[in-house]
Amino acid sequence: MANENKNNSSYRVYIFVFFSLLLLALSFWVIWDDEFGLRPWKKYQGEYKALKHEQLDREYRKAVVEFQRSGGHKRLAELEARLEKAEAFFQSKENKEKFSQLTAEFDAVHQNVARNQKELQNARGQFLETEYYFTKTQKPEYKTKMDELQRQIDAISLRGSTLQKKEDALKSSLSALTAGTAGLRAEIAKMKSGLEEKLEKIANNDKVPVEIKQVHIKDIDKADRCQSCHIGIDGKRQVSRVQPFTRHPASFVYIDHHDPSKFGCTFCHRGQGRATTSVAKAHGKVKHFDEPMLDGDMTQTSCLNCHGDIKGLRGAEQIVNSTELIKKYGCYSCHKIPGYETVGDVGPVLTEVGTKVNYSWAVKWLLDPKKYFSTARMPKFFFTQDQAESIADYLFSMSGTTRHDVDYSGAEPDAKLVEQGKALWSQARCNLCHTTGGRGGNHIKVYAPDLSKVGSKVNKEWLFRWIKDPNAYFPGTKMPRFRFTDAEINSLVEYITSEYLDDEAEAKYAQPVEIKAASITKGKDLIQKYGCYGCHKLQGMEEMVQIAPSLKRQGVSFLRKDEMREKIGTELSSIGSKPLEMLDFGKLKKSIPNDRLSYLKQKLRDPRGYRLGLRMPDFRLSESEVNELSAVLYGFTDANVPVRFMVPSRQELDRMAGVTGYKFTGDFAKVIADVKCTNCHSIRGIGADYAPDLSIAGSKLQEGWIRNFLANPDVIRPLLQQMPKLGLSLGKPAAKITMPKFNLGKQNVEDTNKSDVDVVINFFQQELVTSDIPKEIPVITTMTLPDQINRGKMLYDNKGCRSCHQIGMDGGALGPNLSNVGNRLLPGYIFKHLENARKFKPDIVEPNYGFSERERIYLSNFLMTLKLNTK
Amino acid sequence: MKRLPEITDKVKKNLIWKSIFRRDYRNTIRDRAQAVFGNVFLHLHPVQVRESAVKLRFTWGMGGITFFAFIILVITGVVLMFYYHPSVDQAYTDIKDLEFQVPYGVILRNLHRWGAHFMVIVVMIHMFRVFMTGSYKAPRQFNWGIGVFLLVLTFLLSFTGYLTPWDQLGFWAITVGTNMGAATPFLGYQGPFSEFLHITPYNDIRFALLGGAQVGGNALLRSYIWHCVAIPLVSIILMFVHFWRVRKDGGISKPQK
Repeated sequence: MANENKNNSSYRVYIFVFFSLLLLALSFWVIWDDEFGLRPWKKYQGEYKALKHEQLDREYRKAVVEFQRSGGHKRLAELEARLEKAEAFFQSKENKEKFSQLTAEFDAVHQNVARNQKELQNARGQFLETEYYFTKTQKPEYKTKMDELQRQIDAISLRGSTLQKKEDALKSSLSALTAGTAGLRAEIAKMKSGLEEKLEKIANNDKVPVEIKQVHIKDIDKADRCQSCHIGIDGKRQVSRVQPFTRHPASFVYIDHHDPSKFGCTFCHRGQGRATTSVAKAHGKVKHFDEPMLDGDMTQTSCLNCHGDIKGLRGAEQIVNSTELIKKYGCYSCHKIPGYETVGDVGPVLTEVGTKVNYSWAVKWLLDPKKYFSTARMPKFFFTQDQAESIADYLFSMSGTTRHDVDYSGAEPDAKLVEQGKALWSQARCNLCHTTGGRGGNHIKVYAPDLSKVGSKVNKEWLFRWIKDPNAYFPGTKMPRFRFTDAEINSLVEYITSEYLDDEAEAKYAQPVEIKAASITKGKDLIQKYGCYGCHKLQGMEEMVQIAPSLKRQGVSFLRKDEMREKIGTELSSIGSKPLEMLDFGKLKKSIPNDRLSYLKQKLRDPRGYRLGLRMPDFRLSESEVNELSAVLYGFTDANVPVRFMVPSRQELDRMAGVTGYKFTGDFAKVIADVKCTNCHSIRGIGADYAPDLSIAGSKLQEGWIRNFLANPDVIRPLLQQMPKLGLSLGKPAAKITMPKFNLGKQNVEDTNKSDVDVVINFFQQELVTSDIPKEIPVITTMTLPDQINRGKMLYDNKGCRSCHQIGMDGGALGPNLSNVGNRLLPGYIFKHLENARKFKPDIVEPNYGFSERERIYLSNFLMTLKLNTK
Repeated sequence: MKRLPEITDKVKKNLIWKSIFRRDYRNTIRDRAQAVFGNVFLHLHPVQVRESAVKLRFTWGMGGITFFAFIILVITGVVLMFYYHPSVDQAYTDIKDLEFQVPYGVILRNLHRWGAHFMVIVVMIHMFRVFMTGSYKAPRQFNWGIGVFLLVLTFLLSFTGYLTPWDQLGFWAITVGTNMGAATPFLGYQGPFSEFLHITPYNDIRFALLGGAQVGGNALLRSYIWHCVAIPLVSIILMFVHFWRVRKDGGISKPQK
């Protein structure tokens, strides 16, 4: 028994020892792991320090070499030799004795001065005390004591001043004695200081502590620690191009305007900013983390968090481009999206569509718009033939028409009219907006329909009415009213209906057929189900957009009550931060990655793929469009944004200030409503950025030139428009721009006797002026005008203006042609423009030469002489 | 080494030592018993146990191991409380920070989490053993009852602790768990007969558990207080009764020969 016990216990001891050792080893591992294994940033910061040390060291050595190459070391050696000599001289017995004697004297006097100072303080203190007693008791003995003390004070201060003089004298003779060496020493220190500064930098770098670098945005309690590894992200200089040590790319946009110590990184980049234990965790690219880090162009989606208006925002080019897709396809028609509340209907008015198009065409179009035109924006709803006919029946019945087709393919056109129409077509530059068989359509953002098959779609009567007054059929259309005469319109209609025909068109209902009531009801139901009224104005469905009562926060802007509409589709205002578990992956759960971005992309690729019963139509987006659109949607978040980060849009600012936005008034408003200047031009923040901003046109352009230009619009800068803007812009090169010829001035504006051109000019001169721009060039009386012009010409030649600007046949074509600038621009504008070109056009490429005022006057006077002879 | 007795004499023959240990210890039965009697912690324990009763293959040591796990959980839990705010905004990030930032936070939290799982498993094995060896029979019926309460408390500790990280897992676990409470007869608004007591979602048992009609800040605070204060307190009291009764009911049960 005892024996067995003993064996047993020794066996247990081994187990005990084994586990003890295991525990010990584990403890050490825990300590090691906590110090290093879970703190990879320590390694990175160490490496960064080493790299920076290397860089600084290299610079230091380079500076040393430079110093020696420039003979600095020789000069230093010389100075040192002189210093030595001077010191040796100073060390001579005579001097030394004198120095020590002077020093001793100085010390003695200095002590006396100090003692005297103390005495003075003491006496003053006593005086104050006595004065206090005197004022309190009014006893005469205090008065006598005060007088005595005052005498004492005077005596002491007198003594003090003599002592001080003596001290100063001694000091100056002492410094005279050491002046030679002191001057040399200062000079040597100055020579060395540049190098020493560099050494100090190295030492400072070595002293930088290795620690977690955390940014905390207090108002929203958001913290990130990205810069613990990305230690050089906001550095002034690139230390290494290797991650994580690099600087932020394009830091002059992103970092300079978003100080990382205030914004942190995750505010824009998302990711798991608190994580410091591994790269994958910090970047949020781990399972169950819903906000993976955004990189590259995807990061621009975060611009939408704070910037209410991203139009023209530097560094946001990609997202600006992508956002255009929302307007293009009219996502806001079915989905509630903040910022798009006031954008008009994306589709044309359908209230009288029966008087416009052929029935067969309507059915064909409803079945598959993209099949009819590859560029069609209307999506496919997967209607059956029967359903499509029902919808067409409803639309046609609402217009009070029957099923009918008009076929022009067999008709014999009037050749002369067609010829006239063709000339008019190119003269009016219809192709600027409308494509025909792949040609034209440079101004893509107005989304004008392709006209290559229009002759088989619409009837002549309608086309005539349309061209004569587009607003009458479709209030708010982008189509301008050209000032054509009825005869001109006739020729144009003849040309269009004979030239642009569809070979595949069929005219089944050449004989009109009555519409059945059952079909109309069915069509109405379908229209209501699929929400056609979202994009098109339909008779009897105007009130289908209901007003929702709640006032919910929407991204950066606050919606007013009347803007809150119940839309047919899911609200998209915070789709980019919708919790993953709220997204219905349905039957695709296993086949696509389980993240938000993949969900959005798949939804756009196959809108009805997740489950049965979905109503969203198929837009047949290209893969690049899918990527862009999903990126925008990803940016619609309900992210918590500190108010101080927000950059409200112009309208938002106006609303906050209680100002209603700029509105055109008077006759000019009528011209605008007709000619739609703001389709291309921007005036006081209204309109597009396709053509030059006209907000200060009245201070800029000469009346005569405007008249000429409106009569015969031509390009001002032929080359620039074909080039990408320098700098950050990544946009595609814009196509050559010309303005359509509206024939302004041929007719008078409604209800008035004024011609259009007079109205435009009047408006420009009354409204579009700024007090920043003087009317005239300041006059110099000391020099004759021809002299000034000569000087201006010399400046023009010397500063290399001709490398971009053209005068006559001479010069580059990057800037505007200046051959006729004296007729085009107002002198005061030229003068002001030369001072700071960016003031009026922020993204202009013209360099700022920093001309003096006189130089600007010379140049302006010279430029004003550049005039072409016009008849 | 000759000096060793002198040193031990010096250490032992002074007031401090004597005031703590009261008397010298010699390896006799009496002194061994005294050591147990004189110790506030050990005196819960029987002074003597039968050798056959401590055989590992009979008891599996599961009761003791459960208690050991409990001690670990109390210690790590107290330290964890230093780093944790039971608020909706902070709870999850605090847990994340334990992983990313707090020194030894990873092992601290993992000890607590795995320790909790361990305790639940071990306590069930303990009960299984007690049942299989028939140790619940007279005279130990009462202690079996206490044990059942302790088992429930252990489960409740585990359940309430599950919500504290404020993650999706915990959120939905508590949602589901308390919804089951809502189906309790009489007390839950979805349960049978609740209409006789005028039970609504705003006065039923689920509301009491959550401090609201859904899992939110109040539920988090409630589960935190149940988890960190109330249930441990009750558990400790019941554990002392449990251990005391083990001794009073005739010591650890032994194999029947």
